[in-house]
Amino acid sequence: MTISTVADAPPPIPAAPDAGGRVTDHRGSWVPNGAMIATRFMELRKRRGLMAALILVNIGIPVVFLTVRLIAHAVAPHSYGPAGGYDIFSSMVAGVLFIFGFIVAATLGCTAGSVDLTEGMFRHLVVTGRSRLALYLARIPAGLAIIVPLVAVGFAFVCTVCVLAAPTQLSFNNVNVPVGLSKPALETWAAGHVDEVICNFGFNIGPNSDLLQVVNSVPCGGGNGPSVKVGPGAPTSTPVSRAQVEDAARQIAALNYTDYSGRFLSPSNSLMVKSGLWIELYAAVGFLIGLGLSSLMGQRTVPVILLIVLEIVLTPLLSHSPITHLINLQRALVGIAVTHFEPGGLPSVFGGTHNGATGMAGVTESTTVAICVVVGWIIVWTALGAWRMVKRDA
Amino acid sequence: MSTITIDEVAPPNAADSQWAVETHGLTKRFKDNVAVDGVELLVPRGCAFGYLGPNGAGKTTLIRVLLGLTHADAGSMSLLGYPVPHHRDQALARIGAIVDEPRFHGHLTGRQNLHILAAAREPAARGRIDASLERVGMIQRADDKVSKYSMGMRQRLGVAACLLGDPQLLILDEPMNGLDPGGMLEMREMITSLVAEGRTVVLSSHLLDEVERTCDAVAIVDRGKVIRQGPIAGLLADSAFDLQIDCSTPDRAGTLLAGTQWGTGVEVGPDGLRVSLAPGTERAVVAEMNRLLVEGGVSVYRLQEVHASLESWFLEVTTRLGAGQ
Repeated sequence: MTISTVADAPPPIPAAPDAGGRVTDHRGSWVPNGAMIATRFMELRKRRGLMAALILVNIGIPVVFLTVRLIAHAVAPHSYGPAGGYDIFSSMVAGVLFIFGFIVAATLGCTAGSVDLTEGMFRHLVVTGRSRLALYLARIPAGLAIIVPLVAVGFAFVCTVCVLAAPTQLSFNNVNVPVGLSKPALETWAAGHVDEVICNFGFNIGPNSDLLQVVNSVPCGGGNGPSVKVGPGAPTSTPVSRAQVEDAARQIAALNYTDYSGRFLSPSNSLMVKSGLWIELYAAVGFLIGLGLSSLMGQRTVPVILLIVLEIVLTPLLSHSPITHLINLQRALVGIAVTHFEPGGLPSVFGGTHNGATGMAGVTESTTVAICVVVGWIIVWTALGAWRMVKRDA
Repeated sequence: MSTITIDEVAPPNAADSQWAVETHGLTKRFKDNVAVDGVELLVPRGCAFGYLGPNGAGKTTLIRVLLGLTHADAGSMSLLGYPVPHHRDQALARIGAIVDEPRFHGHLTGRQNLHILAAAREPAARGRIDASLERVGMIQRADDKVSKYSMGMRQRLGVAACLLGDPQLLILDEPMNGLDPGGMLEMREMITSLVAEGRTVVLSSHLLDEVERTCDAVAIVDRGKVIRQGPIAGLLADSAFDLQIDCSTPDRAGTLLAGTQWGTGVEVGPDGLRVSLAPGTERAVVAEMNRLLVEGGVSVYRLQEVHASLESWFLEVTTRLGAGQ
């Protein structure tokens, strides 16, 4: 084979002036510039289908649920309770916003981490000479600028309805009870509502208790007796005085005070702030994990499925009760670690304990471990995603 | 954070380099398949350079290696005098490229896609968006979604993306794909105008006729190796050519020449007499033939050298080498 030379090639023409003279755009820097973040934000925001799906899940579900409750309560207030209130708030935050916020954020992260590659733009971007790490890091603030407000809007709607449409009286065991009473005040109130308290409040007394005869003397409407647990050999009823009945009601109210004191008409400002920050934290974690995982895998669908399985199946399954040989694996799940920071006024997300609260015997871990797990998930997946982006053939 | 400016780290002789692209022993393997095999390529500055080869010859792979889209396994290279990969970002700041089919975010408009690419370049790139779109004839459709673009329009948008950086070197991989004849003509004119501005254009294409019309020099790549490179005129001059003879009695002329050293290549046809001559045949031979024919009583009206086209030369070269192996 002969290879000719280009010694007789056309004489070089003076090159075009250097592009902009001194190029001082820090192109090799790993820090993305504002324009890169802004255009990345624009690229994600313009995905109408994705945005519609995210809004539908994160905002649409609470809006539809609470709107239906508002209408139902407005039409038939005796059949349907108020749309808002503390109970609805805690259920919506722990049962819907927390889990769906993560899934929505993970989906957005998976999109941000893979579309340049799948849609052929990655090559164009690499050819600009811009640091690949900067290209990756630009996606983080851009994606968070979408997901944080999105989660906030859904949460704000829930807060608004739960505060404005909160019940005016606390329904405790189907009895309307004034909210915020002290223990003596509750006992005093119970003395004035002996039938409702004795017939509806829960209590457990022995067969030989003096209280039993008093309780049995109270006729509960509709043939429904009080929810009293009576042992064998209970004595037959004998006439009791009004003072005895009131005293029994006081005792039963005192037994229920701990449960009562945890009920509120509407969520407190403190609880709402803490809850908002908590679900935003989990959404941000979900976005970063999705971003890293999809960048690592170079596609969107499989990472989204994996993260949904993690959130809907694996985490609830593994968080219910400690498994001796897998306890460290359980503690390493990001979902379980984040529930450690769950505000105290909310029910446990996955059925276990949280933040020292008593409940089902779930997986527990120290705050230090929980912080390490959350930070570890963020760093590991971000590092893996960035590494793959830097090393990937474009 | 320490940031750098290009001029601070660029090799002192980068701007003085004669070559827009220079590679030595460049090799890229995919497991057992050697896609780029010790390529020695020299692309002079300020010209349109064709990069030709059959399918699977390694054209696109070489371009991807040059641009840092994939790494080289061996060899060295420089772009615009900047050794890469060490100074790749400085080099790429002055380069625009289309590799394979140009693809963009389909849900965005052409202009929005360019905004994304401009953001990754220097700040001045943003101000070149409209001019780039204007230059490739896409300004009217710039605000349509790319998903509605034809292949040819995406090609034009790809070229517009290349122009955002005001590049000194453009590397265009099959830029004529999907263009209608009018679009091909416009693309050819645009490449010519870019070269006239002092830029270098490396054009990878299988449309040999287009390359012949557009480029000043070419490299032929086959099985990962550059087998020929140089100015088109020079390469074709070195190939075999025919001598078309228009005369009064072609049959007699054929008989006269059959007895000479050029006799094996004589062919009499309806268009007259045609004599195939070996590469490098001197012009004095033509005069000698003319003398023989005139002395033999044949009236010669016209003698014309007919050189092979780039296409036939390309086929001849690649076929011969393929047969040789």
